[in-house]
Formats: sequence, structure tokens, C-alpha cells
Amino acid sequence: MFRFDFFLWALVELFWMGVNLLLISVIYEHTDTIAGWSKYEMLLLVGTSLLVQRFLMGFFWSSLFEMGRNIKSGAFDFFLAQPGNILFMASTRKLDLDGLCNSLVAMGVVAYAAHRLNLHPSALDLLLYALMILCGLIIHYSMLVMTISLAFWITSAQGIEGSYFTLAEFSRLPREAFKGLASLLFVWLLPVVVVSNAPAQILLHGFQPTWVLALVAATLAWFATAVFVFHRGLRRYASASS
Amino acid sequence: MNFAVRGFFSLFHLAVVFILWGAAYSQNASIGGFSFGQTLTYFLVMLVMQFFVGAFNEDYQISEEIRSGLINQFILKPINYFTYRFSIFAAARLVTGALILIPLLVAVPLLKDYLTLPNEAWRYLLLAPAMILSALIQFSIAYCFGMLTFWFLEIQGFVILSMAIESLLGGQMFPLDLLPPWIFHAAKFLPFYYQTYFPTAILTGRIEFAAAIQGFGIQLLWVLALLAVNQLLWTRGLRRHTAVGG
Repeated sequence: MFRFDFFLWALVELFWMGVNLLLISVIYEHTDTIAGWSKYEMLLLVGTSLLVQRFLMGFFWSSLFEMGRNIKSGAFDFFLAQPGNILFMASTRKLDLDGLCNSLVAMGVVAYAAHRLNLHPSALDLLLYALMILCGLIIHYSMLVMTISLAFWITSAQGIEGSYFTLAEFSRLPREAFKGLASLLFVWLLPVVVVSNAPAQILLHGFQPTWVLALVAATLAWFATAVFVFHRGLRRYASASS
Repeated sequence: MNFAVRGFFSLFHLAVVFILWGAAYSQNASIGGFSFGQTLTYFLVMLVMQFFVGAFNEDYQISEEIRSGLINQFILKPINYFTYRFSIFAAARLVTGALILIPLLVAVPLLKDYLTLPNEAWRYLLLAPAMILSALIQFSIAYCFGMLTFWFLEIQGFVILSMAIESLLGGQMFPLDLLPPWIFHAAKFLPFYYQTYFPTAILTGRIEFAAAIQGFGIQLLWVLALLAVNQLLWTRGLRRHTAVGG
């Protein structure tokens, strides 16, 4: 049963990644560029965004999802009683192998796109890329922690985790496509666009200090805010029914 | 509350559509023979259509009722479970359909420069029957997944897997006619085409009269086939069902 579960979920994620890649290939059947990005550049961007998302799924999703439910049910007491950082303990309970397996597929997509674009990133570029992916992972993690923390205040909220997926949709779009209000909101206010564009830019155009600095700054700010929100929420936690 | 959350997400989804397709159209005046306005109209109609005919969490509700043993009372009483669930579904769609018209009233004046609908009368006449059959297909598929609870502990994996297929072959990611012709042709014979794409295509002018009539035939066949599968799964499932603690 559990082996079947693993294959099923691996397939689920694979299919969803396929859907996103197909969207790209269908649009590029009818156009050559989107906001100045060619087909394989776009593939690299989408692959990068999927990679960050797979890591989040593999390392944190199940644990954080469960945290939301535990906060509602009162079972979160268990974590409060543990000696150690509460947020750390609660968010690293489970590891999803299917998410991690699919991160290899996402890496394959990025590598394939880079190959088609005839890119030869240096070791330093690759290291920076990995660092940017890590920053992206932290930002996604922070956003998810903040959304889940809403459960401290709104106990009736169902499906707020879904907002994460909606926001993640934006990270598959190139920065240049955002104009006016959309640019202000999704590039500057929410870091969803920078998360995928900064690493992709490194592979495509080499090291660019502004992108790297922007992402590192956003990472620090979002992580700090997430920790703050979580602890404010924790103070509201009243351990239902026990 | 859940409706508000859903509506809010939809708004963001629409923003993604606007940005992505807007960028694609900045290079081309027409994609697949349609203007930016027509494509945007397509996605908006698609979204509204889902609130009218889409099954959101019917599969989970049915699954929950089977697991908790609530269906036992339907085995004892002379009420058909399918009819009972379908009437709840129909009522819920009337409510969400009416509610979505409120944000639509706000959105349409803002987007009215982009929105274009064809004005042939037959499109509006065929819309309602197409939507009713679509709702039946949507619900029947959800019902099938609910029935899987008789055999599996968790149906979430199946549901999300089918959501991926539906979003692709149901035309939520992109208008299906942008697919390579042979895939598009094959998609016409699958039930997903008739979930939301078919009525949307009728209204937004992406399908011609003859093709629409032919579509009705296939849609009707799928409704009948899915109803038969529902019945089969229900009788088979009940045989496996052990009313725990009922």
C-alpha cells in the first residue's frame, strides 16, 4: 500500500510538471518569444521554478500541512513540549521521497534547456545557482509558514495552503512580462518572481550582482518575517480542548 | 468563506493568464486565429463556467461519507444515493454560479475593452443544454473517484492526478484548439473536453455549428457511459463494503 502510494504521488507530481511544460511548448508553437524569452530560456525558467517547488514539497510540505491541522485540532501541544526550536521541529518531521525524486526530473529539465541553449556555466555559476535555489527554497518555505500560521488566528480557514500554489504560478513567468501594478505587486512586494528569475538569470547571463543581492535581501526579510509571524501566532495558540 | 477563498485565487489565476498571454500577444496580433481579447474572454468564461458546472470537492465529500459509514442509511432507505448527492451538487452549483456573478459585475466593466463574444443566436440556445450535460459529466467523474473509497484508503492522489489531466485536456491551461491538430482531434473523444471546454467554446466562438452538434452526440454518449460506470462501481463497491460501527 505504501509503495503504491509512493508511485501514485510521484506520478501526480510528474504529471503536474508535465502540464506546465506542455503549456510552454504549446504557446511557443504559436509565438517565438514571450517578453523577450525564447522557448528554451523559458523552459529553463520553468524548470528552475519547479525545482524550488519540488524541494519544498520534498522537505517541508507534509510537515507544514500537518502543522496546520495540528494547530486546529490542538495536537500541536506535542511540539511545544519538545526540547528544541518549535518551528524547526514541526517543519522537519517528514521527508517526502517522491518530491525529492521529482526534483531530479526538474534538474533534468533545466539541464536539457541549458544544453539546447548551448550554455556552459562555470563551476562558480553553478555554485551561485545552487545558492540562489537555496534562497528560493527559504523564501517559499517562509511564505508557506506564514500562510499556515494563519491557522492560529482563523481556525476555520480551509484550503489556505492552496494560496501557495496560486502564488507559485507567478514564479513561472519572466520578470519582463510584469508591468505597472503587477510589477510592483509580484516583483517588489512578493518575491515570487525573483525566486525563479534570479537563478535562471545566472545560468543564462552569468553573475549579475543586482539579482543576487535582491534575492539574498528578500530571503533574509521573508525568513525573519515568517519566524516573527509564527511566534506571534504561537502566543495565540490556546490548545483546543485539552 | 470557502467560496471567497476560491474566488480570490481565481482572481490571481486570471492575473497570471493576463500577464503570460499579454506578453505572448505583444509579439503577435493573433495566436491560433484569435485575438488577445478573444483569448482573455475565453479564460474568463472558462473560470465562470467552473463555478456553474464544476465539481469542487464532491469527490472528497462522498469519500468521507463512505468512510464514516454515513452511506449505511442509504442502503436501508429507499433513497438513491446518486440522486441524493446529485441534487446537493446541483443546488450548490446554482448558489456558487449566482455568487460568481457579483465579482463578475465588478470585473466586466474593468475588462470590457478586452471582452468580445460572438453574437450568433444558436450559440446562446445551445449553451444551457451543453452546460447541463457538462455538469453531469463533472459530477459523474467526481462520483467515480468518491466510489474508489470502497477499494482505497485515500483518494486524494487519484483526484489530484486527474486534476492535472483535466486542466490540460479540459482546456484550463490553454484553449484546446492551440494544440497540434491530431492531439486536438483525439481530445474531442475524451470526456475532459466536455467538462468545461465544450460549453465555453460554444459561447466564445471557438467551435462551429456542425462541430457543436457532433460534440453534443459525443457528450451525450459520455454522460451515459459515466452513469453506467457509476452504477457499476456503486453495486460492486457495496459488496466490498463492511459497515464499520454502523
